Amino acid sequence: MSGRVTRGDLRRMAARTFLLQATFNYERQQGLGWAWALQPALERLYPDPAERRERLAEHTAYFNTQPTLASLALGVAAGLEERRAAGEGLDAVGTSRVKSVLGSALAALGDRLFWFTLRPFAACLGALLALSGSWVGALALWLCYNVVHLRVRCSGVGWGYRAGPEVMSGAVRRRFERLTAVLGVLGAALVGVTIAFLLAPGGSPQPLVFQVALAAGLGLGLVAAQRPRPSPTEWALGVGALCLAATWLR
Amino acid sequence: MLGTLLLGGVAALDAAPVAQTLLSQPLVTATLLGALWGDWHVALEIGVVLQILAASTLPVGARTPEDYATGAVVGVGLGLALASREPFAMARESAVLVGVLAGLVAATLGVPLLKWQRRRNEGLARWCEAEVRAGREGALGEAHAAAVALAFAVGVGYCAVCLGLGLWALDPLVTRHSLRLSRAWTLAQPLWLGLGLAQLLSAFLQRRLARAAVFGAALIGAWIALMVGTP
Repeated sequence: MSGRVTRGDLRRMAARTFLLQATFNYERQQGLGWAWALQPALERLYPDPAERRERLAEHTAYFNTQPTLASLALGVAAGLEERRAAGEGLDAVGTSRVKSVLGSALAALGDRLFWFTLRPFAACLGALLALSGSWVGALALWLCYNVVHLRVRCSGVGWGYRAGPEVMSGAVRRRFERLTAVLGVLGAALVGVTIAFLLAPGGSPQPLVFQVALAAGLGLGLVAAQRPRPSPTEWALGVGALCLAATWLR
Repeated sequence: MLGTLLLGGVAALDAAPVAQTLLSQPLVTATLLGALWGDWHVALEIGVVLQILAASTLPVGARTPEDYATGAVVGVGLGLALASREPFAMARESAVLVGVLAGLVAATLGVPLLKWQRRRNEGLARWCEAEVRAGREGALGEAHAAAVALAFAVGVGYCAVCLGLGLWALDPLVTRHSLRLSRAWTLAQPLWLGLGLAQLLSAFLQRRLARAAVFGAALIGAWIALMVGTP
């Protein structure tokens, strides 16, 4: 007779999600980290060592999603394994299919929220505060991101476990989408404020050369943003080399 | 310098293997290094530029993005080390320019090293699966400990090599050509900031007119507030 996943197991799983990407590789991506994070639930559900090892080995297969939202998928997987251990629910193929679908759905949502919106927003806020020479910028960046990131990382396993495979069809999804939209609007405003601050820090306008160069950089950046290659870093290296060449040849 | 190298290892861990709390972001590492070296000004000048450029570099899917975590530690550490040897304002500005460029180069050259680690992890994953099937469940924990130790060691080692080479090669350059480098910084800083901010703006706007209007209104409003607010 197998047991049920406890609160303690969910907490241990949540703690282990912090190492989800420690063994990231091109073959299985987060597969090994996923298996390690799920191990506390499997230890609870499968007292028979041979069966437990089989399940663990199954879970080392390919898996990839946005790492913060992976917590939700882990909670769902723990719930599915609980039903499977009790002789109900899905078999290995079904569980793997749910994992794959959830991984894609969470990646689509998580990439937009965490990588395309929240991280740039936190970076812009931190940079704006740091432009005045204050260490507060770094703190603001870190807090702004982690208020959301750590909350989802720590609570996501429980949300996924309770809601099951439908976790992304309800209130959680709507909340994330609303947050992405709000941060998008606030981020656009924040970039505007940052540019204004760069043009006239403390109310005294910068020299004309600075203003023209900033405008040129913005124009170049907007054109560069339409294409994936060259990357922003390659553009920045090119710009740096041009500036060096210009001052050397002058 | 030891603190700088250790921070390089911590940043390499936070970037992907452990937690991803953005402790590895250039502005955060620059602030910590500024406190460590006692020079906020130089650290933040380099940190802000690298941060704005790093923010538009995204680790989406299986893509290996530029390694701004160790790149920033190298850039800021090098800038601080060079500036600490030169008391003059112009030489400090040239140290900032050299720091940003070194950070960008180190971030770009760090990509093959990240790919190498990920390939090594493939072998680790296969070994681990075989061990688990053979009855050793503890192999999962051992594999994670090994991967974390490798990432930390690579971060520290890479920062040490880059900082050593950078100091050896660039110290004479900053001493001899500080005037030219300082002029280049005057031109490069706004260009870099503009380039990075445009990428961020593009990510936020998503071709939506209403958001573009919000951006314009915020820009004009903040500019007027800054100008009028000055006595």
